[in-house]
Amino acid sequence: MQLLAQILANGVLLGGLYALMALGLALVWGVLNIVNLAHGAFIMLGAYVGYYLFTLFDMDPFVALPISMAALFCVGYLLQGGVLNLIARSAMFNTLLITFGIDVVLTQLAQILFSADYRTINPSYAGSNFMAFGVTLPWVRVLAFVVALLLTFSMWLFLLHTRLGRGIRATAQNLGAARLYGVAPKSIYAMTFGIGAALAGGAGDLYGVVSQINPYIGATLTAKSFAIAIIGGLESPLGVVVGGIFLGIVESLTALYIGPTFVDVASFGILVLVLVVRPNGLLGSTS
Amino acid sequence: MKRALGFMAFTLATSMSSAFAQETITLGASVQETGALANTGRYYRDSYKFAVEKINERGGVKVGGKTYTLALKILDNQSDSNLSVRQYVQLLTQDKVNFLLGPFASDFALADSSVAEKYQVPMIQGGGASDQIFNRGYKYIFGTLPVASKYFESTIAMMGKLNPAPKTVALLYADDAFDVSVANGTRELLQNAGIKLTLDQRYSSNTSDFSTLISQLKSSNPDAILVSGHETEALNFVRQAKSLNLAPKMYSFTVGVPTADFRKALGKDSNYAFGMTPWVISPTSKDLYFGNAADFAKAYVARFGYDPDYHSASAVADVEAFVKAMEAAGSLDPKKVRDAISQVNFPSLYGTVAFNATGQISLPQTVIQVQNDQVKAIYSQNGMLATPQYPMPPWDKR
Repeated sequence: MQLLAQILANGVLLGGLYALMALGLALVWGVLNIVNLAHGAFIMLGAYVGYYLFTLFDMDPFVALPISMAALFCVGYLLQGGVLNLIARSAMFNTLLITFGIDVVLTQLAQILFSADYRTINPSYAGSNFMAFGVTLPWVRVLAFVVALLLTFSMWLFLLHTRLGRGIRATAQNLGAARLYGVAPKSIYAMTFGIGAALAGGAGDLYGVVSQINPYIGATLTAKSFAIAIIGGLESPLGVVVGGIFLGIVESLTALYIGPTFVDVASFGILVLVLVVRPNGLLGSTS
Repeated sequence: MKRALGFMAFTLATSMSSAFAQETITLGASVQETGALANTGRYYRDSYKFAVEKINERGGVKVGGKTYTLALKILDNQSDSNLSVRQYVQLLTQDKVNFLLGPFASDFALADSSVAEKYQVPMIQGGGASDQIFNRGYKYIFGTLPVASKYFESTIAMMGKLNPAPKTVALLYADDAFDVSVANGTRELLQNAGIKLTLDQRYSSNTSDFSTLISQLKSSNPDAILVSGHETEALNFVRQAKSLNLAPKMYSFTVGVPTADFRKALGKDSNYAFGMTPWVISPTSKDLYFGNAADFAKAYVARFGYDPDYHSASAVADVEAFVKAMEAAGSLDPKKVRDAISQVNFPSLYGTVAFNATGQISLPQTVIQVQNDQVKAIYSQNGMLATPQYPMPPWDKR
């Protein structure tokens, strides 16, 4: 029983970070209809921003979080304006190709600039923990979980209540109608892609604290984000949170009861199941 | 006048280059210069290069009364074992290299050695230790890493001398060729030593989340934890063990611990971790080209900007084994060189290089431990070399 409680807590905490990773991918996918294969590379870049701020300037990773997000926002905004806008609204295949290309370029650049060494953001409190109800909770994971939820929640409020947020939702729902109401899709696209990259940057910073960074972490993180976005649905940020936590719990329970080699089988099996049963995601409207 | 001079220079240059072309022996290899394994792949790329340079500086290789220069052809397999196989075929069929050096990692060597066997060109590789590479009856594959199934042999021997000796052990291993071989061997070694295996768990390579496994370990509470995996998994394991407060009496990792990278990434948390290395940087391991192991390590840092570990020494031994074999064979015929490789026996900065009937070196593993941010040699065949820090204190008492 004690073990089960611990495993569930691990799963939920893992899921929070997963959700933050997938949030940007789901947003860009929903609004721009681009499955951004470079999303994991953005997470990796965000992690390096956090790492260098920590090692060079001794900056706490939670303080560095907004900087990491701002840096990645710029990267995303410029990439969308300079590269992705060239193929806006074109076939899915083209967007896949171009984001895959961006992923390759960013990854190779990262190896040239940062080397393939493993890096960690390792503040003094990185390994400390506290006990609650007989369950060991690592501080960093709890904080990362809280930050992930806060970011998701503010994302939700932003989409619902700001002019830009409404513009983004309108563009996603009906491009023609949005245009008629004075929304300029080009700038909306660039903003959305920038925000997506910023969320990836924030996730990367936290990822560097709980795990480790290397130029090649991106590909698996993209795949994971992709699965979560599908499981949670693209309609609202809350779906992504539910998808992330659900996946975190499923992975932890699979590792315990079936075996750690079956974790990916379980998560991608669920992905297929969700596509069959609820193609719009767990929280999505049934079609 | 100017023109004539230019023409002379041109003919001189071309005749010289053709003269060199005749006297070059090319070694080919496909290594991980980019991709997920680039971090370890670089040891092979750089060490091959370094060894070839040093051998050429000392006059090259004398085969059958003729002097040759060594050349190296390295391709980047991008950490993709399928690409690696294609590149070895390319090295033999298009680039026409004379002999093959190996890639890093057992999964790669396992597949690539089949190319060597098929084309009957010897490959000496220092990156794959799995028993599977050597128990297929292949004739053209040689390896300079010790047998995977015995990686934990010295560690388990040391455990018997600890006070109190660990009575229960948990074994975690990744699902690739090398780590499965390690696990199979370790189970047997533990049984012979009379130590109880309380948890025996395989996990996927590149697992980044160990929280479930660590929670299970906490509830089964073994005295010692043996982890056979990759460096990235070792790092994740230690960090998550700390954050979930798992502190067994000892833990040991097959890879990662000897590298500077491990200590840099973990900082103080790398302390108390046990590991192993077939290569201890000592001035007594001497070599014709580099002086001794300590000189080599110094020259290596100066040249490449990072510390060498046993991967580097093993790679250098591969190149030197070819040189010895070619000189002994007095020929560049692949078959004759292959037979000569099976007979080599020479001291090197890596240790004594000689291959057994299956083609693998036999080198003992020295147990090491990170103590006060430094790697210390703790135990070898000859007994304790230094006092191990044991048992490991709980995380909040460090």
